Amino acid sequence: MNYKKQEIKKGINLHTIKTDKFKTNLLAVFLTMPLTRETVTIQSLIPAVLTRGSKNMKTADEISKSLEEMYGADFDCGIDKMGDNQVLKFYLEVLDNNYLPENKDLLNEAIDKLFDIIFNPLVDNDEFKEEYVNSEKEKLRQIIEGKIDNKASYAYIRCLEEMYKDKPYGLYKYGYVEDLDDIDSKKLYKAYKDVINNCKMDIFISGQIPEDINKSIEQKLQNINEREAKYIVNEKEENKKQDEKIIKEEMDVAQGKLVMGLNVDVNTKEARYVALVYNAIFGGIPTSKLFQNVREKASLAYTASSSYLRQKNNIFVKCGIEIENYEKAVKIIKEQLEDMKKGNFTDEDIESAKNNIIAVVKCIPDEQDTSITYYFGQELSKFKMEFDEYSENIQKVTKQQIVDLAQNVYIDTIYFLKGVTNGDN
Amino acid sequence: MEIIENSKVKEKVYVEKVENGLTIMVIPKKNIQKKYVIFGTHFGSLDNEFVMPNNNEKIKIPDGVAHFLEHKMFEQENGTNSLDTLSSLGVDANAYTTNDHTAYLFEATDNFYEALDELMDYVQHPYFTDENVEKEKGIIAQEIRMYDDQPSWQVYMNAMQCMYNNSAIKIDIAGTVESINKINKEVLYNCYNTFYHPSNMVMVLCGDFVPEEIIKEVKNRLINKELQGEIKRIYPEEPNEIKQKEITVNMEVSNPLYVIGFKDIPKCKNIVKKHIAIKILLDIIIGESSKLFKDLYEKGDILNAPDLDYEFSDEYAHILISGQAREPKIIYNKIKEEIENIKNEGINKEDFERIKKKIYGNYITEYNSISNIARNFLADYLKGINEFDYIEEYPQVTLEYTTQILKEVFNEEKMVLSVVKGK
Repeated sequence: MNYKKQEIKKGINLHTIKTDKFKTNLLAVFLTMPLTRETVTIQSLIPAVLTRGSKNMKTADEISKSLEEMYGADFDCGIDKMGDNQVLKFYLEVLDNNYLPENKDLLNEAIDKLFDIIFNPLVDNDEFKEEYVNSEKEKLRQIIEGKIDNKASYAYIRCLEEMYKDKPYGLYKYGYVEDLDDIDSKKLYKAYKDVINNCKMDIFISGQIPEDINKSIEQKLQNINEREAKYIVNEKEENKKQDEKIIKEEMDVAQGKLVMGLNVDVNTKEARYVALVYNAIFGGIPTSKLFQNVREKASLAYTASSSYLRQKNNIFVKCGIEIENYEKAVKIIKEQLEDMKKGNFTDEDIESAKNNIIAVVKCIPDEQDTSITYYFGQELSKFKMEFDEYSENIQKVTKQQIVDLAQNVYIDTIYFLKGVTNGDN
Repeated sequence: MEIIENSKVKEKVYVEKVENGLTIMVIPKKNIQKKYVIFGTHFGSLDNEFVMPNNNEKIKIPDGVAHFLEHKMFEQENGTNSLDTLSSLGVDANAYTTNDHTAYLFEATDNFYEALDELMDYVQHPYFTDENVEKEKGIIAQEIRMYDDQPSWQVYMNAMQCMYNNSAIKIDIAGTVESINKINKEVLYNCYNTFYHPSNMVMVLCGDFVPEEIIKEVKNRLINKELQGEIKRIYPEEPNEIKQKEITVNMEVSNPLYVIGFKDIPKCKNIVKKHIAIKILLDIIIGESSKLFKDLYEKGDILNAPDLDYEFSDEYAHILISGQAREPKIIYNKIKEEIENIKNEGINKEDFERIKKKIYGNYITEYNSISNIARNFLADYLKGINEFDYIEEYPQVTLEYTTQILKEVFNEEKMVLSVVKGK
């Protein structure tokens, strides 16, 4: 893969991924700031207000119309939590010039549009347009309140909140309703300035990229200052063993949602590879212990799986079960953890786990947004590795390493979202 | 072998019809790591009553059989499960069931031929026992319960309830906890023998392939099957009229979810052209750059640009506008008014040309992902459409034609509203 990183200015990087596999070019701008209780809500409001209008495209429908003119250039923005950082993400996907029915340089135009939205907001007298701010505040309130709508993800959010009580990672990425009243157009503009001037800024371009792109980006960003980017490097978490917390909450659900948060208390250099293989055997793939025992043998669930969160060295188990099967399911899951400790898995299990992980890594360059996410994840953890080397490291994991790691996997929090019960049971 | 080329998107499809009736389609993609294979049968949740070609016997089956059968195909006589076997190879395998087809697929980087062996082996060799059928009921019941908790699924199904009187489209693809309890191994074998015949199936392959070679490999893995006559499918008569105007249910949600539907008449003779025109119209009426969306958004009546869809087969056709809004009835009324306005004033030519450009970009972008390509070619083939037709027909969609579709399809008496709101 033709990946290159160049520093445009201190704190601002341009990442290019040259490829001719796609019909489109994908641009992404990521603004990264530390995640804090004080800033989480106000910062999450920024992308929404920026996309309401810029100096050159004053309204949202002007923006939409100009993107439609560009053969439906696809704009997207959002908020992400990556380790202890909050990331404001902006994407624009445009057809590559080779697939246009006319002769045009759409890539250059796309960069200008995207930068116009992010860096050239509609501002009057040091404040955003009040009408835009108020209506986006209301929308954000609805988004935050909407977290209960998807019960499975709500159970996961609640489990994280309990596991990371009073810590940045426990924060909801969109923030909190109670902060909204205090936000006005002046304060929001101040927060915006703070982000633009101090964030870690990463610009990604994937596709058929001209040679002189760095010059042209440099020129387009000449008014943006260099900075001592303040962000939190994602390093491995120190997860100490703790007493297991059990939290049960009620909501009007037909099916109970069980989420179990596990700590992996191993911090060796190889831990990330070993933990990935461990997770695949335990609950990551269809041959895994969870899928086989919770679903296939006990018929307790349709969804029963686990995933490894590298940024925090956690494994999360997720299951949808009948409410009365809670004890049964927890018992089976705990038995699987014990089995992992005892090394009750075969060489074929290890082989199949590795095959699955390597296949996922190999496919990363097949999708533009996935490769951008891969390189950006590395950027935030100051860890550089190309796909081949990554696969080799997975291949090297031994059974002994997995069993050793298993001795240091602890249940931190069990969260269960169950139906509303009447009376006192 | 037939080769169809599209110069705009710069792709080719190789189509081979095997003697036993199977259609194989290959879309070669250079320099892609992944190879994607999807094997589908024209058997979905709508196919609830049919005449079996081998004995001319007519049968009616419980709701949810196509989906149940999909779950059970993975189990092998030697006690292994093909999903496990494929997974052990490092291959991402899956299956899904829709209203009109069932598909088995995998994507592989390594071990491709081993995976192809397994896929073709398990889809061609069913193994159902009383015991393994019984065991699956618990799992599928949990799958159904999972959907019971998804407001977006509920609001969609209720829109079907509003529009359709008799068609099985109003029944959940997975069936109900009661209906799946009636399923036994005999029902599964009857359906398998009827619908999993090569003449009722298609395989699509997308990735770095040499078409002639891969087609030969697929043919070598086909088992012999006697030719089979046409399957007579019996569908309930569905009137053109909607069943009811509105359904509202309560669930624990923050903001109401809505689906606004327009029931359309299926079996249109140039469905691709109509589909393009409907996409353009939906964007003109309530797309992100429309005046109506701007007004609703600025007033805070609507949270996001709605999802806009046109779904169809030979048995059904409908438009869906879905999203979240404080007061769905307002959205419903405003859309109704806006359609009347556009009908009276005519479609704005500038809007029309601009949206048409956007839709062109969308069609081309579909070819970025080999899974999209393979799935689209498969689903469209089973509807009698070649996926390239969307790009070919595109220039033929004129303002006049689009105006005619507006008048034909977007009518108030065919319009329904489904809402899920908080308690």
